[in-house]
Amino acid sequence: MKQVACADLGVVPYGEALLLQRRLQQLRREGRVPDLLLALQHPPVITVGRLGKPEHILAPPRVLAKLGVEVHWVERGGDVTYHGPGQLILYPIFDLREHGRDLRRFIASLEEVMLRVARAFGVEAHRHPGFPGIWLGLKKLGSVGVHVRGWVTMHGLALNVDLKPNLFPLIVPCGLHGVEAASLAEVASQPVSLEEAHRLAREAFSQVVGVELVPLDAEVLSKWSA
Amino acid sequence: MEITVPALGEVEEVTVLQWLKGEGEEVEAGEAVVEVEADKAVFVVESPAAGRITRILIGAGDRARPGQPLAELQPP
Repeated sequence: MKQVACADLGVVPYGEALLLQRRLQQLRREGRVPDLLLALQHPPVITVGRLGKPEHILAPPRVLAKLGVEVHWVERGGDVTYHGPGQLILYPIFDLREHGRDLRRFIASLEEVMLRVARAFGVEAHRHPGFPGIWLGLKKLGSVGVHVRGWVTMHGLALNVDLKPNLFPLIVPCGLHGVEAASLAEVASQPVSLEEAHRLAREAFSQVVGVELVPLDAEVLSKWSA
Repeated sequence: MEITVPALGEVEEVTVLQWLKGEGEEVEAGEAVVEVEADKAVFVVESPAAGRITRILIGAGDRARPGQPLAELQPP
């Protein structure tokens, strides 16, 4: 089975993770690094994808500043989303030419990983055709959004495990009025921990994508990102 | 010669997000020319060869299918 190096980065400011991903995407395109999976969390941040509209950020700038919430306009697909403590994030830096050259299958794989993590906590989430991500009725539990250049991916998935605080009300999630965000912890009938969710997500990713995840040495990563 | 929507697997349709190059501009082989989106994935379409973009066929906001020409490219 193909090995993929997985780096557990802990809490990383959004801008820092963005620069790291751009650098790694470039290196992957040049064939200088292998496929990689970054596992992390972000401090509170609002990000706006290529289809995002400024009016989908409901809170005025002074409120965001007071809350310490940054706003980043980024190259991923989709509209507005929120990232913050208690959310599980996976960013695959993958060359899709080695994984079937199928954009839809890749997005479906990211959704499947989140569905399996939810199921492991006893939560049966589902897809909404035409509205990528995973859902519980009209509540959004997990989001996807990627950017692909030269068939190499960046950005990825964000699963709401135990949002504290839940700052999604600051935005119109995905630009869809009436949609709210839910956390696994709110709907699961069993205790949910972010640490366990990360372990389950890695296990699910390995099974769904068909790769073996091996820990990536922090020193190796910092050499690449320098 | 044409710049076309690449085959992206099961993707049946993409939306043109933005042109990174305009009509009349010179491009290198492999240079990013246009961004398209499908299923919350942005895919950067690169020029298949060096040349000059003579005509953009699908504008931002419009949809196209894999294999469909997005622009005409005149080799140098």
